[in-house]
Amino acid sequence: MPVKGAEYAYAVGRIRVLETRLLDEGRLDRMVESSSVDEAFKILGETEYAHMMAEVESVYDFEEILQAELERIHLLMQEINPQAHLTDLISLKYDFHNLKVLLKGKYLKETGGAMDDLLLPMGTIPLEDLQALIFDEEFQEDDYELPEEVCRAVEEIAEEFEASGDPQLIDLSLDRTLYEMLVGRAKELKSTVLEELFVREVDLTNIKTFLRVKRMGRDRRFLRRTMLPHGRLPVDLFSDLLDEPLEALAESLEKSQYADLADVLVREWQEKGNVTGFEKLADNMLIDHLRQVKYTTLGLEPLLGYLYAKETEIKNIRIILVGKVNGLPMDEIKERLRNVYV
Amino acid sequence: MDIKVNPTRMELNQLKARHEVAVRGHKLLKDKRDELVRQFLERIRKNKELREQIEKELSAAMARFLLARAVMSAEVLEEALMYPTAKMSLEVDRQNIMSIYAPKLSFKQEASVEGGEDNIYPYGFVDTSAELDASIETMAGIMPKLMELAELEKAIQLLADEIEKTRRRANALEYVMIPRMEETIRYITMKLDEDERAALTRLMKIKDIVRAKV
Repeated sequence: MPVKGAEYAYAVGRIRVLETRLLDEGRLDRMVESSSVDEAFKILGETEYAHMMAEVESVYDFEEILQAELERIHLLMQEINPQAHLTDLISLKYDFHNLKVLLKGKYLKETGGAMDDLLLPMGTIPLEDLQALIFDEEFQEDDYELPEEVCRAVEEIAEEFEASGDPQLIDLSLDRTLYEMLVGRAKELKSTVLEELFVREVDLTNIKTFLRVKRMGRDRRFLRRTMLPHGRLPVDLFSDLLDEPLEALAESLEKSQYADLADVLVREWQEKGNVTGFEKLADNMLIDHLRQVKYTTLGLEPLLGYLYAKETEIKNIRIILVGKVNGLPMDEIKERLRNVYV
Repeated sequence: MDIKVNPTRMELNQLKARHEVAVRGHKLLKDKRDELVRQFLERIRKNKELREQIEKELSAAMARFLLARAVMSAEVLEEALMYPTAKMSLEVDRQNIMSIYAPKLSFKQEASVEGGEDNIYPYGFVDTSAELDASIETMAGIMPKLMELAELEKAIQLLADEIEKTRRRANALEYVMIPRMEETIRYITMKLDEDERAALTRLMKIKDIVRAKV
C-alpha cells in the first residue's frame, strides 16, 4: 500500500534543501545594521540571491532582483509540485493583480507601455487570456480556460463601473472575488492548512480594513463593501462596531484568536496613529501558522511554508533595502521586519 | 557727456521743461519702487512661512509614503494609484499688483466619480498598507497650499523683476539724465550770459568810438 502523500516525497526533499538557504534572522540583522546600501547589498550577495545580482547594474535596481527571485520560486513550485493547483492558489493573487491593472488600464484608455510594466508574470492564468477577457469585444468564455468566477467578476465590474465610474470598485470587487475563490477552492480540496491560512488572512485584513474605513469616516454601506467574505469574524460584528469607540473592537475580539493582535492594534492606533505593528503581527501570525506544519514529512504543507517564507523574505529584503537607500533609522526598519520562517 | 545742443534760448526753455518732467518722473519712480519693495517684503515673509510649513508637511508625507513603499512591491503600489478618483481643474486668472499682472490660481477639486469628493483613496484594502492612506491624506491636504505657494512665488518673481527695472530707471534718471540736463542748462545759461556780456561790451565799445568821432 502506498504511503499517503508519497507523491510529495521528491518535492519535500527539494524544499528541505532550499529551506536551509533561506535568510536567517542573523543575516537580516546584519543587513539592517550595515552602514550603507552597498554593504547591505554585499551581504545579500553572500546568499542565494548572488546569481541574480550579477545581472543588475546598480544597487538601486534591487527591485528587479526581488522580482526575478519571486518569479523563480513560483516557477519552481509549479515544476516540483505534483499537485500544482494547490500552490496555484497562492499565486492566484498575482492574476488578480494583473486583472486590476488591465481593467484600470482599459478604463483609463491606456495603451501598451506604462501598463505592461505593472503586469506580473507569476500568475496562473496566461496574460494573453486575461487580455482577451478584458479587451476583446467578442470574448467567448468557452474559448479560454478561465475560472468562471473571474469572468463573472469582470462582467459585474463592467456594469458597475459604467454606472459609477469609481475605480475603487474594481479593487474592492476583485479582492472579494479572490478570497471567495481562495476559501472556496481550499474547501473543495479539503486542505485544512490552506483553508485556515486564507480564513486568517481574511480576518486580519478585515480587522485592518475596519480601522482604515473608520478613520476615513465612511458609512456602514461602504464598510460592508470592503469586507472580505468567509472570515471567522462576522461582517455584522464590524458593522455594529463602526460607531463605537475603538476599545470596543478589542473587547469583542477578546475571546477570539486575534485577541493579542487587537490589543496591539488599538494601543498602537491611540498612541501613534498608525498600524505598522499590527501589519507586522498579522504577517507573523500567518507565518507562525505555517511554521506549525513545517515538520510534516510528506504533504503539501512544507511547500506552502516555503512559498510563504520566500514571499516574506522578499518583503523583508525590500523593507531593508528601501530603508537603507532612503536612510531610514535602524529601529524604524527593525520595527517593520517580519518574522522569519526558519 | 553733455547733451549736444545749440545754446539758444528756445533750447534752454525746452530743456528746462524736460528737466522738470525728469525730476517729477524720478520722484514717482522712487515712490513706486518703495511701494514695490514693501509689497515684495510682505510677500517674501508670507512665502517663507508657507514654504516652511509645506516642506515640513510634505517631508512627513513623503516619509510615510516611503514606509508604505517599503512594505508593498512597486507594481502593487503603482496599480493602487494608477486610477485616481479625484480630478482637479485649474483656472488661471490675472491679478494686478502695482500694474504687474501676476497669475491668480483658483482650482476646483471635482469628483470624477459619483460620491468621489469624500473618497480620495482609489484602491482596495487588501494589498495596500495603511500607511499609504495616511500619506495620501496628507498629500491631498497639501494641494491647496501648494497652489497658494505657486501663486505667491510667481508674484514674487515678477515683483523682483519689476523692482529691478524700476530701480534701474530711477537710478538712470537720478545719476545720469538729471545731472546731464542740469549741466547742459548751466552751459546754455552761461553761454547766453557770455553772449549778452559780449553784446554789451560791443555796444559800449561802439558807443565809445561814436563819441570819439563827434
